[in-house]
Amino acid sequence: MIKAIIIDDERLARSELRKLLTDFPEIEVVAEASNAGEGVEKIENINPDLVFLDIQMPGKTGFDMLAELDKAPHVIFTTAYDEYALKAFEVNALDYLLKPVEPKRLADAIQKLHLQEDREQGPMVPVNFNRSILNENDQVFVKDGERCWFVKLSDIRLFESVGNYAKVYFGPNKPLILKSLNALEERLDEKTFFRANRKHIVNLRLIDKIEPYFNGGLLLELKGGEKIEVSRRQTVKFKEMMSL
Amino acid sequence: MSKYKLSYYWLCQFVGWSAFILVYIFFYLTLRTRETPYFYHVLVAEAVIGFLVTHVMRFFILKYKFVEKPINEQVFYIFFISIFFSLIYATIGATVEQVLEIEPERQRSYTLLNKIMRASMGCFSFILIWNLIYFAYHYIVKTRQNQFDKIRLETLVKELELKTIKSHINPHFIFNALNSIRALIDENPNRARNAITELSNILRSSMQAEKLETVPFEKELSIVKDYLALEYIRFEDRLKIEYQIDEDTLDQPVPPMMLQTLVENAIKHGIGRQINGGLVKVISDFRDNFHELVVQNTGYLNGHINGDGFGLPSTKNRLQLLFGEKANFEIKQVNPDLVEARILIPVEIK
Repeated sequence: MIKAIIIDDERLARSELRKLLTDFPEIEVVAEASNAGEGVEKIENINPDLVFLDIQMPGKTGFDMLAELDKAPHVIFTTAYDEYALKAFEVNALDYLLKPVEPKRLADAIQKLHLQEDREQGPMVPVNFNRSILNENDQVFVKDGERCWFVKLSDIRLFESVGNYAKVYFGPNKPLILKSLNALEERLDEKTFFRANRKHIVNLRLIDKIEPYFNGGLLLELKGGEKIEVSRRQTVKFKEMMSL
Repeated sequence: MSKYKLSYYWLCQFVGWSAFILVYIFFYLTLRTRETPYFYHVLVAEAVIGFLVTHVMRFFILKYKFVEKPINEQVFYIFFISIFFSLIYATIGATVEQVLEIEPERQRSYTLLNKIMRASMGCFSFILIWNLIYFAYHYIVKTRQNQFDKIRLETLVKELELKTIKSHINPHFIFNALNSIRALIDENPNRARNAITELSNILRSSMQAEKLETVPFEKELSIVKDYLALEYIRFEDRLKIEYQIDEDTLDQPVPPMMLQTLVENAIKHGIGRQINGGLVKVISDFRDNFHELVVQNTGYLNGHINGDGFGLPSTKNRLQLLFGEKANFEIKQVNPDLVEARILIPVEIK
């Protein structure tokens, strides 16, 4: 079974989608939410496999809601007609449905979801014992102005603290997310993500070179070319981890 | 326009041929070695004949519309008519001079044909210059006219686009309404049928809005009622609707789709942004010498109001175009969570 949540501010729109989904017995709609706040709450409690998300909602848009989540579920966006959202979908290759939803399009979107699951060996495999720690296959939703991405944690090489924000480095992009480095550190798997110093968390699997540095510290060069200094205190920890 | 152009032509003719006479007199007085008998007679005769011949030539140019031909054909015609008319010019000139016996002494022994051929050489250059000026002038005027037309066409297209934007219903609304109606078909078939009627009414009047300058307020109000009824299907309990309509205002003329646009904005920027929804209130009343239309909604005004969505200046312009300078439109925050848009239309006292 695929656990799905429908988030839309209109009751009729939710009930219409629910009705359409009865043709897909593998999808079970376990909850509904009518705004972004409720949506975040339900996603965090239920941890669904799939979310149908409306873009235009009172208070916060669907994009804003996703950016708030630590871990983004698989999302199929729904919208009636919104030039801004349509542009975002096309630019960022996000999965979306136009309301009123065409059953054929819905079938295609669900088919695509199955293919993706097969590639990831299915979401039903319990990888996480502790749900509060993010797995490296988990994805986060990152929004930077008009551009947005679903990024797998394993593709992120560096988090850099910038005031209250964190700059996320992946591929050629480095957008900002509204999260503190300390909060991120708590949620990230320490086997993969290492706090190099006060301002940086690096992905250990994306380190290119390690060099000794002043005062017995280390200098890490990442796959993207960024050079990160490891503080003396953290160097001890780093060496311990690597020698294992 | 044509009168102005005509006088321009005559002015050029007089100035041109006077200049012809003056230039010859100038060179005659400064450069001559000995006096030429009948010099002034010949000169005036040539100028008058030139004047008449070119005027006849212009008649042909106009009659056969040489100026409107493609530019490469024009070059051919310029040479052709220049040769033809310089021969005519020379023939008339030589004949007149011979008959009046005012030709220079040394020419008297030549045959008339010889005289004509000699004179036509000189005439050709004058006629050619005349034609070059004439065609060049018309070419420039035509090019400028084309440019002017092009600019006017562009502004017209823009204006039309603006009108279309103004009177078209937001597609987001149409598709949301259709989606709600589809859900209603099972849940409440009667309501679904009514909803389709309401949606058709709105679509129909948005198409008609482009053709009409004003409609009676009653008609506009019925569209607004249909529109809000449809939005009520979407928002359900989150939308409260109130009307406060003075029945005497129902016959007043209003611009089509203007109140509808304001109500649509009240939903989009007001109710649509509130998690708990809110109130939309439509008021129509007489106040002083004005018909006052007010849309109030729960919500907050912020910076983006003046942007493309609201078309604040265009609403005001449209009102003032239709009803004069006294008509007005404003939008403001009347209390901490209530926004009010107000249209004032001066009432004509009969």
